[in-house]
Amino acid sequence: MNKRTITLDNGKTVVKPRSKIILPTIIVGVFFIICSFFIPISWYSIRLKEFPVILIKMFSPAPGKTWADYFAYLPTLKDPIMETLRMSFIGSLIGSLAALPFAILSAKNIVKTPWIYQPVRFFLNLVRTIPTLVLAVVAMFFLGLGPLPGIVAISIFTFGIMAKMLYEIIETVDMGPLEALESCGANKLKGFSYAVFPQILPVYLGYFIYNFEINVRSSVILGYVGAGGIGLYINENIGFRYDRVGGIVIVLFVLVVIIQAFTSYVRGKLQW
Amino acid sequence: MIRKKPVTIDLNSPKRVDLTLKQKPKKWISNLILALVVLGLIIYSFVASHIKLNVRDFKPALKVMINGFLNPNTKFLFGLDEASIPYLTMQTVAIAFIGTIVAAVLAIPLGFLTARNVTGKYVSKVGEVILVVIRTFPEVLLALVLIRVVGIGAFTGVLTIGIHSVGMIAKLFAESIENMDRGPLEALDAVGANTIQKIRYGIFPQITAEFLSISLYRFDINVRSATVLGVVSAGGLGTPLIFASQEWNWPTLSAILIAIVIMVIIVDQISSRLRAKLI
Repeated sequence: MNKRTITLDNGKTVVKPRSKIILPTIIVGVFFIICSFFIPISWYSIRLKEFPVILIKMFSPAPGKTWADYFAYLPTLKDPIMETLRMSFIGSLIGSLAALPFAILSAKNIVKTPWIYQPVRFFLNLVRTIPTLVLAVVAMFFLGLGPLPGIVAISIFTFGIMAKMLYEIIETVDMGPLEALESCGANKLKGFSYAVFPQILPVYLGYFIYNFEINVRSSVILGYVGAGGIGLYINENIGFRYDRVGGIVIVLFVLVVIIQAFTSYVRGKLQW
Repeated sequence: MIRKKPVTIDLNSPKRVDLTLKQKPKKWISNLILALVVLGLIIYSFVASHIKLNVRDFKPALKVMINGFLNPNTKFLFGLDEASIPYLTMQTVAIAFIGTIVAAVLAIPLGFLTARNVTGKYVSKVGEVILVVIRTFPEVLLALVLIRVVGIGAFTGVLTIGIHSVGMIAKLFAESIENMDRGPLEALDAVGANTIQKIRYGIFPQITAEFLSISLYRFDINVRSATVLGVVSAGGLGTPLIFASQEWNWPTLSAILIAIVIMVIIVDQISSRLRAKLI
């Protein structure tokens, strides 16, 4: 009798199940080792002492300047911040509105024919894989510098994730009201707008705000390639004016915290 | 708001539907204000953005672009050296994978620290603040700072993702610890288990699946952000991506995009299958 079986008082034997954790651990370990071959580390270029130095540079005035100068820089960021907010707002709005019809088309419970929802889903998957950055650069090719390519990139990016989040929600709605309306003779469009849409509306609005928050954060990278917003200022100052970069970080932090507080307030109102 | 006194409705009355409808609370004033505010925001955003369409002649540009996209740079796409796509794609996945593992390991103590039912009200607030700060510090900026510390290359990407992902993984992890069922722990107490046994048999089985699922989900996200991090030369596909796109070198860009799409779809499939198995 091996160690895995336990004999109970009434004579029955219980077999302890084999541990399921060994095989996954080995797979993860092997993959980890394979991956580590792709990460060259040059120990000579690592200067850990630099880390606190840079942080101090970021969150204290530059040499020869006072704290007053440090904080005097922050109000000048008002315009790019407002631009970032506007870009994110318009982009989230356009993307969310455009996502609605595609979400309906790819929801299994509304459109029951696989040859409609499968291609639409594939298209959405494809859109989601393209990095925002590439979207921005391609848009810049046609539209030049400024906020417009940023808005286009944000819209397309929002469209991709919003459509996916929405169709997953549409698939979980209660189908009863829709069936009731259809049995009264409502067509698909009416049935959707009176039975399904009211159910998804709070979630839809919640997702809109969530996307807005993501887009405000991603504006850092958008500005980095020249598509408008606060990122432009980071790109200008990184490398020689760390105090200004630190100021931008503080402003962004405050902004995101405000948006998050707003989000949780609205979510409470929407009961989601 | 003043509510009308509820009227008892005679269910046999032919007007019962109208009566019920009348009882619906009237919120049109607050709805109108909300609609006006939203409309104002929309108008303001469009007007203040000074959107001007200085569109170039679309057609030749579009033709060049489509032509380039249809003829991807095959030498780059199928090359085997360290500067071509297969290597860089694997490197991107490797950055995301090792970064996620680093983050997951770091998230375990931070998650326990932030869980309210483990450390109490005040200590968990400290953990929460740490996590919020980590989450809001922009990833790209973190990479730019770390490049000054550890030098250009994939290792910077690993560290950036490792540090940045802790914010989200630990937060979700703490939530799953907070939602844990206390029953098994009480049962273990009743049979006289010590702390280590309680953790091993009471806590582990409950949260392991969720913890792995959270980490996998984050791995999914990290594969995407590892591409973006390359833009600031933190390794992976991003570096050639940004060069190709700034030169508008469509054949190379097309090759990189093909690689990204395939990579993301494969990772997506694997991780969603695994997550479905876990839950």
